[in-house]
Amino acid sequence: MSGILVIAEQRRGELRPVSLELVGAAQSLRRDGEQVAVAVLGQEPGRFVPTLSVAGVDTIVTVKVPQPEFDPDTFVAAVGALIDARSPDVVLVAHSVDSFGYAAALAAVRGYGFATDVFKIERVDGDLVATRGGYGQKVSVELDFPNRSTVLLALRSNMFKPPDPGAAPQVTAFEAPVTIGRAEGKEFVELSSADDVDMTAAEFILSIGRGIGEEAKVEQFRELADAVGATLGCSRPIADAGWLPKSRQVGQSGKTASACKLYIAMGVSGAIQHLAGMKHVNTIVAVNSDAEASIFTVATYGIVGDIFEVADELRRLF
Amino acid sequence: MSRTDAVTRILFEAFGAAEVRLFYLLGYAAIAIFCYGVYVQIRKYRRGATLRLEGGLWARFGAMLSSVLSHRTVDRRDPAAGGAHRLIFYGFMLLFAGTATITLEYDILEPLFGIRFWYGRFYLVFSLVLDVAGVALIAGLVFMMYRRGWMRLPKLDYARPDRVPGDPDFNRPQYRREDWAFLWILLIIGVTGYVLEAARLVWLQGRADVWGTRWWSPVGALLAEGMRALGLGEHGGGLLRHGLWWFHGLIALILIALIPFTKVKHIFTSAASLMVRDPLASQRLPRVPDSQEQVGAAKITDFNWKQLLNLDACTKCGRCHEACPARAVGAPLSPRDVILSLREFAQATLESGVVPAAAELDIHGKAPGQVAMETLWSCRTCMACVEICPVAVEHVPIIVQMRRKLVEDGAMDPLLTKTLQTIHKTGNSFGESKRKRGAWSKALPFPVKDARKQPVDVLWFVGDYASFDPRNQKVSQVFASLLHEAGVDFGILYDGESNAGNDVRRVGEEGLYEVLATANVNALSSASFKSVVTTDPHSFNTIRNEYPDFGGKYEIEHYTTLAKRLFAEGRLRVTNPLKYRVTFHDPCHLGRFNKGYDAPRELLALLGCELVEMGRCKANSFCCGAGGGRIWVPDPVGSEKPAQNRMKEAAAIPGLEVYVVSCPKDLTMFEDALKTTGNEGKFVVKELIELIREAMPSRRTEEVPA
Amino acid sequence: MKILVAVKQVAALDEDFAIRDDGRDVDPDFLIRDLNEWDDFSLEEAVKIKEASGVPVEVIAVSVGPEEVDESLRKCLAKGADRALRVWDEAVRGSDPIAIARILAAVARREAPDLLFAGVQSSDQAFASTGIATAGLLGWPHAAVVANLRYTPGAKTAMFRRELEGGLLHEVEIQVPAVLTIQAGINTPRYASLRSIKQAAAKPIEVLGLTDLQLGSDAVGEAGSLSRVRRMYIPEKGRAQLIEGGPAEQALRLAAIIREFKGEAT
Repeated sequence: MSGILVIAEQRRGELRPVSLELVGAAQSLRRDGEQVAVAVLGQEPGRFVPTLSVAGVDTIVTVKVPQPEFDPDTFVAAVGALIDARSPDVVLVAHSVDSFGYAAALAAVRGYGFATDVFKIERVDGDLVATRGGYGQKVSVELDFPNRSTVLLALRSNMFKPPDPGAAPQVTAFEAPVTIGRAEGKEFVELSSADDVDMTAAEFILSIGRGIGEEAKVEQFRELADAVGATLGCSRPIADAGWLPKSRQVGQSGKTASACKLYIAMGVSGAIQHLAGMKHVNTIVAVNSDAEASIFTVATYGIVGDIFEVADELRRLF
Repeated sequence: MSRTDAVTRILFEAFGAAEVRLFYLLGYAAIAIFCYGVYVQIRKYRRGATLRLEGGLWARFGAMLSSVLSHRTVDRRDPAAGGAHRLIFYGFMLLFAGTATITLEYDILEPLFGIRFWYGRFYLVFSLVLDVAGVALIAGLVFMMYRRGWMRLPKLDYARPDRVPGDPDFNRPQYRREDWAFLWILLIIGVTGYVLEAARLVWLQGRADVWGTRWWSPVGALLAEGMRALGLGEHGGGLLRHGLWWFHGLIALILIALIPFTKVKHIFTSAASLMVRDPLASQRLPRVPDSQEQVGAAKITDFNWKQLLNLDACTKCGRCHEACPARAVGAPLSPRDVILSLREFAQATLESGVVPAAAELDIHGKAPGQVAMETLWSCRTCMACVEICPVAVEHVPIIVQMRRKLVEDGAMDPLLTKTLQTIHKTGNSFGESKRKRGAWSKALPFPVKDARKQPVDVLWFVGDYASFDPRNQKVSQVFASLLHEAGVDFGILYDGESNAGNDVRRVGEEGLYEVLATANVNALSSASFKSVVTTDPHSFNTIRNEYPDFGGKYEIEHYTTLAKRLFAEGRLRVTNPLKYRVTFHDPCHLGRFNKGYDAPRELLALLGCELVEMGRCKANSFCCGAGGGRIWVPDPVGSEKPAQNRMKEAAAIPGLEVYVVSCPKDLTMFEDALKTTGNEGKFVVKELIELIREAMPSRRTEEVPA
Repeated sequence: MKILVAVKQVAALDEDFAIRDDGRDVDPDFLIRDLNEWDDFSLEEAVKIKEASGVPVEVIAVSVGPEEVDESLRKCLAKGADRALRVWDEAVRGSDPIAIARILAAVARREAPDLLFAGVQSSDQAFASTGIATAGLLGWPHAAVVANLRYTPGAKTAMFRRELEGGLLHEVEIQVPAVLTIQAGINTPRYASLRSIKQAAAKPIEVLGLTDLQLGSDAVGEAGSLSRVRRMYIPEKGRAQLIEGGPAEQALRLAAIIREFKGEAT
């Protein structure tokens, strides 16, 4: 019983919210007396202590590193050293672009139990069981890690509830090993666009997906969105094809519809990356001609039908 | 010997021996230049790929002769041009035959064998016929000048949709110059011929046999009277005749010499093109032999000699330009200009002593003579161009072969790429699992036989759209119930069926087509049936015309023929005659491709409908725009679609109630166009199968409602 | 100069699929195989570098799997790869991404490329781990989710951008040799016509076994994996409340939902 170690994520001076979700996940796993520690790496890791002081955190471990932003070699070395020093049973990281860059390398070299994109964790007869998707998220797969003293899991975002703030955990510093990084992070680049829309602030979004078929049909839905008072959004294929600017893309590598309360998805199949950006929305209405489309699994209301006919009829009512 | 027996025209009368020799010299020179020109042209054709012609040469020659003499192809859709060209053709032919006859006697028969026939009655009738021929020729020419100069016909506008103003080859004024030059030269030859004839009469007015028989050359005689009235005497007449003789003769010799270098060569190239035509050119595309390195046409020399000949046969009549649905909606494609560009390219590269290096023979691109990607991808392979061409140019195979090269290079719209990959993976263009292909039949109250497992009389090849598109699935269900009611023993191949491949082939993905055709032929060959029926004209075309090349020869009919027979046999009966006013859209692949114009119309009559034809019907039917893979590629935003253009034509029929189609793609395209042209509510689009159902409502309650 | 591109033949589920009797995987009858979507992009990126290069660049496609994987490798050859390698041994069955990474690392040691590409993830299991795990085992510099790459063959470093959440990009310079996992959308993969795939069948695919790579069977398969599948099942799908009727009725109900929402908002 050597505790659970959470590796927080920070970027551009802000703690990424998924870090707190990891702490929440840790709570569901912790056994009596087990300690939960959260480690944060950065140039000034101390600044994240207040945000990390949430219920269920016993210790915050600050790790000072030379780079302000994520660097693969630094993380492999520092997290590896942290694990060596603290010997946790379970290490939780986010299933994120940063962790894509180091977690598998660390686990492979050290031989930790390892699984990614895990959305459910539990102990069954004392064994750690992690559940993830399979075959394009059409099935669920339960994994276990026999004979692994340390298990490293990358958890999916928006699946675990972050705990309440206002705790006072211990804070200790950890000396990261000196690493000679073989990559050098430079500047961040925002994709600018002429379109000034902020999907993250929109409360009512109408999104279109591959189901609209061709670029000429975008206009009809743009008009419909205007008529009903929604912000027009889209899934990745539409933005990749250039039919709408990237700023309108909702999804994992697009925008998260954070402020959205009503989301209408028309012709969107519901690929996992798109769902990541909108499945948290309170009321979701999915319109799709395919009754089996994944979007219906997260929607509140579903309309199985021809999206153009429904769009036409809807337009008439506004 | 009586006077009329002895009358004839003495050739070279009053010419010095040196003059005659000079004339012969010039004549031989003209012929030599002509022969050299012919040699250059033939050498050009031979620089193309090889091709073995099917069919006997004599049969072909006979067919060509019949075509040319009847002028049937020139008459089509422009009877005025047909009539005028007949006059020119027959006039010129007769006049030429006349000169040839004279030469035959003067240079061969008389000196070698002492045979003479060109005198007396024969000579007089001969003169009359030639005078009439001359009038015909001139009349035809004058009309053509009027047509070209005053009628402002759109199809004679050489501005082209695949270039922009400013491009060096945008307007091609040299074509217009050549057209007018040809008309004028012929006219001058014709007119000077008469003046010459008249001048001779004036010169020889003293000779009783000449002057007394002058009315056998009525035009000449009339002109002679006029000349005499103007004071021209024998001497003057002689001088005029001498000078004009040389003028007329020189111009004629120049014309002969220039034939192979100018549009005049169409005399030979058009006839030759007609002789080597392939009546199934668009319906049955050529295979690519496995051994062939280069797929498709990348260089001008990748075309075979027949295609290079086609390029030269084109007379710029503009009928294909007019008929093309892509051009009609503003796409950068004119079949005429594809042919003319390639012709210019061939002339520029293949007419010199040495063939340039391969890099200079690239026909793809935007330089003069090349054809752009956008042009090739605009084609719907509807064969309106091939069908109407009076000289049997086969545009569609040329375009498809160029597309084959584009496909190898991956130079196509990403959506098209995706569709081809989807078809390869799932065997259908919808990306649905193969297992779902027969799912539409589950809604029926009776089971549909699996032709893979049980023998059937009629194997129904359903096709992609009829299997997977919701709107067309309804039509499939209705057809199944009709067959069931008629007691036809039928079945489908379920998952054993793949996309028939017609459009994949016309997109130019020959490799994928082979995969599909082979798979379907295997499935069909393992099944047991008497005949095949299909509700999809595209599948009909390829199975009927192209599958035999892949080892699959089946008796196949389109459902309209089968339905007609079922009605004739009383197995289907109209109980509720429909009194609709309808119009019928001939599907390209059923109508133009396979001459299936009649069965649908007979069915409509049987059903009691009043058929009002659209202007562009039957062979001139206007493509819905879905062919050639275009149903998988979106049209540019804001442009008119061919289906919309067609809908507007239909909407002009007063009181139209139903727009009848008999092809799944037509149904899809036109239902969409009905809405987008604002005609929803004015009339409906219906599949003929659905009308049949309506005319014989089911007696059983458990039938699927139409 | 060599670029090694690791590709995977993924499996998608067909209609009406069923779980195998042992409950740990899907019945293989229902699997439809194809080249991983991400690998189209990574292969294209490698071929683009080759085509733009002044010096000769060899692109090698490698995949782990049984004979049916050859079809995907042939596609790679048709798309511009110069050579293809396939590694297989029955012992490899049941490998997780890390076990696969051990094999790929062994191949990389054998071939000694300057760059090793993999896709960010596979469309079937989406572990997003194989490429980076290989890097860890090789001890090479590595980066994931590369959305833009600038590399001149022979240079000591490469410049790239990683695509972060929310569409943000991070510019990075990395030492070469390196392992990069390539994100979809980085380029437009070329089309491989069926004819070119058929012609690629003439190019041989070198098949290697574990002994050729000096790997023991304990390094692969379940024994070499860092996780074990206990159970695979078809999850209860969330149910949306379906709005019935034709388009008019459905639109009416949807309009009511919208108006209700807006009523709340004001």
